[in-house]
Amino acid sequence: MSDRYVTLMASLPPHVPSLFANRQTPISRLKLDDRLQMLEPQDAIDLALIEELLHWDRMSMEMTDAQMIERGKQTCDRLDNEFIKDIVRWRLEIRTVVAALRRRHLGRPVPSAGSKWGYGAWMKMIETHWHEPSFGVERIYPWLPEADRLLEESDSLALERLLLNQVWDYYGRVVGDHYFDFEAVVVYVLRWDVIDRWSRYNGEAAARRFDRMVESALGYYVSMFA
Amino acid sequence: MNEFVVALGWAGMYGVMALGAIGSIIGCAIAGQAAIGAMLETEGGYGRYIGISVMPSSQVIYGIVVMFTLQRPVTAETGPAMFGIGIFAGLALLYSAILQGKTCASAINAAKAKPEIFGLSLAPAAIVEGFAVFAFVFALVIAGGMPG
Repeated sequence: MSDRYVTLMASLPPHVPSLFANRQTPISRLKLDDRLQMLEPQDAIDLALIEELLHWDRMSMEMTDAQMIERGKQTCDRLDNEFIKDIVRWRLEIRTVVAALRRRHLGRPVPSAGSKWGYGAWMKMIETHWHEPSFGVERIYPWLPEADRLLEESDSLALERLLLNQVWDYYGRVVGDHYFDFEAVVVYVLRWDVIDRWSRYNGEAAARRFDRMVESALGYYVSMFA
Repeated sequence: MNEFVVALGWAGMYGVMALGAIGSIIGCAIAGQAAIGAMLETEGGYGRYIGISVMPSSQVIYGIVVMFTLQRPVTAETGPAMFGIGIFAGLALLYSAILQGKTCASAINAAKAKPEIFGLSLAPAAIVEGFAVFAFVFALVIAGGMPG
């Protein structure tokens, strides 16, 4: 426990244990950023790096896979804290597995050996077992068959829910006995990002549903007065 | 040799209070930081956060009492006993104060999120206090049997 972050952690409202019980983030981003000013300068830089790499909203859609992977490696190299490096590696590996699922779903061929299409220890295994439902990594990622099925059914909301829940549970497991240190702050912020993502997803889905309802209602009246 | 033993005796007599004070300083600082953080987040109940954060201050009081109990002429006969009682009681007080500060910080953090567990969240801090009281009481008992 580092005493430095006792005030910061105590000033943050707790996350509800279940991700899907959160209808909105427990604290606004503005307020969170205000509290994060208590971070040491180097820790603030590290946290910004991690969020830039892992937060969906901060990812540039124009980056190629190779650029993304290179950026992931650079971020890991710049971080000193092994606990945080492990989190970043785990997230990049999850993205690699999901990217492989999506590639296969789109009917693309096995990535050629040596090509920069993913990150982590399981790339070789995935390439070798490309045509197996779970790429031979089912023991490490037991949720893969379900993710594959949801992708096949094009149920993107359920897939998103499954993946976010894996990330949420992982953060809950790794935070362990970190209560008042930088590691706890990083996990808090990353969990905040997951809630933010899910609540926005909910909002976007609700907005689309609302649009469809408006269209269908208007359609009824349009046909009525036609 | 006698001078060294006498020096140890003085170290034991003052050390128990100094170690208790160091522990209380660190423990209260840790719990106090948590109290400040909780006050940023909550709208009321500030007094009880501050109340919890001063729990580790009891160790310095125990240290002062043991120091006065040990106070007697420091000689080659009394020095070793004063050193043994003072330093080990002081170490117990030091550690108990620091760890009590941490349990108080956790209690503040938990009570902020769930006010209904406020009383129960103090149980670990109270248990740590109990061990400090053991160290304190038995230091007094042993000091009562010292020569001089």
